[in-house]
Amino acid sequence: MQSADNMRWLWLAIGAVVMIALPQLVTSSFAIDILIRILLFSFIGVAWNLMGGYAKQLSLGHAAYFGLGAYTSTIMQVNYGISPWIGMVAGGVVAMLASLPIGWLCFRLRGPYFTIATIATAQVLMLIFLKFRDFAWGAEGTTIPNLGSAPLMMQFEEKSSYYYVVLGLLVVGLWITHRIEKSWIGYYLVAIGEDEDAAEAIGVNAPKVKRDIYMISAFLTALAGTFYTQYIYFIDPATAFSFNVSIEAALVSIVGGIGTLWGPVIGTVLLETTSALLQSWLGSSVGGIQLTVYSLILMAVILWRPTGLIGFATDVYHRYARRKPARA
Amino acid sequence: MWETLAQAVINGLLIGGIYALVSIGVTLIFGVVKIVNFAQGEFVMIGTYISFFLATQFGIDPLVSLVVSMPVLFVVGVLIQHFLIRRVLGPNDMPQIFLTFALSLLLLNLSLMLFSANYRTVHTSYSDEAWHIGGLYIPVAKLIAFAVAMALSALLWIFLHTTDLGRAMRAASQNRDVAMLMGINPNRVFAVAFGTALALAGAAGSLLMPFYSAYPFVGQVFVLMAFVAVVMGTLGNVMGALIASLMMGVAESLGIQFVGADSGLIVVFALLLLTLAFRPSGLGAKRGR
Repeated sequence: MQSADNMRWLWLAIGAVVMIALPQLVTSSFAIDILIRILLFSFIGVAWNLMGGYAKQLSLGHAAYFGLGAYTSTIMQVNYGISPWIGMVAGGVVAMLASLPIGWLCFRLRGPYFTIATIATAQVLMLIFLKFRDFAWGAEGTTIPNLGSAPLMMQFEEKSSYYYVVLGLLVVGLWITHRIEKSWIGYYLVAIGEDEDAAEAIGVNAPKVKRDIYMISAFLTALAGTFYTQYIYFIDPATAFSFNVSIEAALVSIVGGIGTLWGPVIGTVLLETTSALLQSWLGSSVGGIQLTVYSLILMAVILWRPTGLIGFATDVYHRYARRKPARA
Repeated sequence: MWETLAQAVINGLLIGGIYALVSIGVTLIFGVVKIVNFAQGEFVMIGTYISFFLATQFGIDPLVSLVVSMPVLFVVGVLIQHFLIRRVLGPNDMPQIFLTFALSLLLLNLSLMLFSANYRTVHTSYSDEAWHIGGLYIPVAKLIAFAVAMALSALLWIFLHTTDLGRAMRAASQNRDVAMLMGINPNRVFAVAFGTALALAGAAGSLLMPFYSAYPFVGQVFVLMAFVAVVMGTLGNVMGALIASLMMGVAESLGIQFVGADSGLIVVFALLLLTLAFRPSGLGAKRGR
């Protein structure tokens, strides 16, 4: 096992070097933009996966926390001049607090009706922010004042700096997931995901575990919201609470491998690369093409490989490399 | 004041009839097949486009095109149940939720690609007609839509209560395993339930056409109401869904009338969240379950 562990560290070190060197090698701004999107949605997927993947609480309302994070830091920055680095953490805390009443409501339902309730809460928040004209700019939204190079205000001249910020977020998200996976909470989550009643019967405090993981998931998603707003210098309710954010968070995890550490990352690489290729072939003129392709990929995965690309890769690996029977 | 109130209630009831067709479909599928069809709204959308193209290409009245949209969507429903839904039935939620969700995304975005986001309308001789009774204003197209919706709901109720197949469907929704032991063929029952639900969505689409528009997102408006109504009316309960839909229509209309033009949705969501908070198993549920 010693050598397997060493191999793992070797791969991680190679990965780290490649990820750090990448923006220096890739100069096109279009390509860096795609890399940033991949890292961002991987991170959101990782946040979703903690709750949606391990505990199988299939939320389609994570835009609620993305939006709360984005609005908290932007309101603090634009109205009070507070740095988004502080606003980002504040946004995370706001999202955590908001997840308590939202979770209280939604966790009363199971399965598909939990999913519908999460959609509704994100929509309600969007409608509320559409009404807040005094300190949240209503439907028009606002642009973020461009200060040029101001790292303390999370504003950079080089796109590669944004890349490193979101890379850092993703590393934190993966590290948290890894720690949870190896802890008691991780096993509790999987038990709840397999069969909640059975988990409770053997003494798992399911409501508490679900509440805690929902808070962590909401916190992380809010960080992504702040980053995204800083990156595009603009906020309005439709982008901050966009249903597409909720959809993509779930999609990348399911396509990559639901309830696995690297699943969301692999899913995002596939979906975002496909989307970028489609865009460069067809132009962005054809509305709906991106989600059409996403939904076809999602259907294919669900019908043929519910364990996602990771499950598929593991099966192939076991079949050919190890010559061990693949687990079903 | 009273006239405004009465008018708002009438407006709400009339549109509530359409919500009822959509939510009865959702609740029928949930009751019998035990899955939530997230794509139900997209079949309303397909219904509106079928009626739109029959009206513009062949000059067929949208209400007459009901006899096309309903059977077409019934067949589509049977095929979807047979080739897609059947493969994900089981104890696991994830594939069921995300298969119908993917179907919804696919149909919505395909129609966006094929038809663009433009609003398409059909103008009929009765589109602008209205009855004035006292101070009240009753648009004829909406009244017809409401009447047909109620008639279809009644037909479904008669079908479920008097025919063998209907009884088999109700038995399957009450206790699927026991129903199977009694010799009911699950695949046949599921296919009919799914087909019937989609036919109702298609009917909703056709009925909407004389006073509404066909556009890719049209189903989203109605499916949202339907989900709220189905949760309020207890999952799987046809009569509950019907009553809750009419109530949702009235609540939305009162919200628009007395709170503000853009607050219909807020009222609806508030009702959903209140229902979840205080009666998570729906208004029609017995206490202490």
